Amino acid sequence: MFFVGGESNVRDYYDVVVIGGGPGGMSAALYAGRAGLSCIVIEGNSTGGQMNEADVIENYPGIEEIKGPVLGEKMRRHAEKFGAQFHTATVVDVDFSGQMKRTILDDGKIISSEVVIISTGASHRKLNVPGEMEFSGKGVSYCATCDGHFFKGKKVALVGGGDTAMTEALYLANLVREVLVIHRRDKLRATKVLQERAFSKPNIKFVWDSIVREIRGNEKVEKVVVENKRTGEKTELEVSGLFIAIGIVPNSEIFRGKLHLDSQGYVVTDENMETNVRGVYAVGDVRSKGLRQIVTAAAEGAVAASHAAETYFG
Amino acid sequence: MGLLSEQDVQYLNDLFSKEMRDDVRILVFKSDDTSRCEYCDITVSVLKEVTDIDERIKLEVYDADDDEAVAKRYDIKGRVPAILFLTADGQDKGVRYFGIPSGHEFSTVIQNIISFSNGANPSLSPASLEKIKQVDIPTEILVFVTPTCPYCPRAVLLAHEMAKANDNITAAMVEANEFPEWSMEHGVSAVPHIVVNEETAFIGAYPEDMFVDHVVQHVLG
Repeated sequence: MFFVGGESNVRDYYDVVVIGGGPGGMSAALYAGRAGLSCIVIEGNSTGGQMNEADVIENYPGIEEIKGPVLGEKMRRHAEKFGAQFHTATVVDVDFSGQMKRTILDDGKIISSEVVIISTGASHRKLNVPGEMEFSGKGVSYCATCDGHFFKGKKVALVGGGDTAMTEALYLANLVREVLVIHRRDKLRATKVLQERAFSKPNIKFVWDSIVREIRGNEKVEKVVVENKRTGEKTELEVSGLFIAIGIVPNSEIFRGKLHLDSQGYVVTDENMETNVRGVYAVGDVRSKGLRQIVTAAAEGAVAASHAAETYFG
Repeated sequence: MGLLSEQDVQYLNDLFSKEMRDDVRILVFKSDDTSRCEYCDITVSVLKEVTDIDERIKLEVYDADDDEAVAKRYDIKGRVPAILFLTADGQDKGVRYFGIPSGHEFSTVIQNIISFSNGANPSLSPASLEKIKQVDIPTEILVFVTPTCPYCPRAVLLAHEMAKANDNITAAMVEANEFPEWSMEHGVSAVPHIVVNEETAFIGAYPEDMFVDHVVQHVLG
């Protein structure tokens, strides 16, 4: 598979700047483009955001089964068809103080816009246990699709019990000898269909009611120390790798003090996805809300861009 | 049908028409020994498909062993497939690929075609360029990647931009699956994994300023 990407020159002004290239941002760009607005999407990494780490997506209506990066590429093309531009860079600062918003990028570019739609998504939550930092990249990984290859035929552990954790466990089960899923409760939080699939895999085994206390090794991960919450008993699991999929933290640090955030750092919006600053919207995983899915992010992107088009360019 | 879809070809055709200026030379080094190079054929094929899109893109295919003089000149060291870019007037900026740039990595090839067609000027902030100037010894940046890593192309491009900014620097993408021993030598088990002058400098996706800082500090000690 070959993702062709490609970029054009970045201008100083766009009607709409979208920060983040996940499904929320790309849907916003599609709707902004169709409304006749000039729009640029600033994406930190490859197009698609967290979708890129999904080996399979099978809950987006109308698409029974698709690889995450492929859906990302399709969404990008769709937005580009209606004029949206894409640029890879990290946003280092924003200035929302005036009517004209400014977005400052790590490559030195500064882009002005009437409207900013924030779709910065979220990052992997860390375990915060001894050894995690030390062995990060030396057996500790937060991305099974990125790093799974390095553990072919080996035994690995995976912490977590949600949809992401089960999707990663199923992906790894096809590569590695055995996956030990460590979960703090006695049942999974993941969608039923994913649970059933994971239970039916002979090389996925479960370590219930347990929390990771420490990651040990010399050069690389060799052991994971888990504690059973019921009995208090500690066990050493001998594994070559530990994949961590215990949820997300919002990518909202650069907006602190500039936008209203909830107690967990998610951006608060009204029903039109507009934040407490006029002309600044938030969509997708970074927004304070209930369900975080591709379909909800895409819907929010549509709502935000349509509202912005009517309100500020009507 | 080829490796690129009709839609991809149309997309690239539009992009190249809009963004390319001069000719670009792409040199690819291969080996016919499939036990040594599983992906050489497909690498050459996909590059041929790209060069067919715009006549300003010139592809030169060399055998890493038979065309010894060329391979030596560009320091390929028998690692195949190897890809490098030259500007129309033959300037080598030290941009390299070892292994197939498939999956997410392929977008960096497209970026480099456009960049080399426009003189291969580094697309970095003035602050980064100032820091990169300090690198006064021959420096090799290796970015180990996997095709399924969405965080890797950004690291590869940043390394390539650093090579364009300073003649002392060469920067290569290394596809870890195709070079298991090379990867093992540097203890690669997560990507992107960045090696500077034969030592691991850092692992993970960093924004531009941090990426540049870490590489420069590693060189200067």
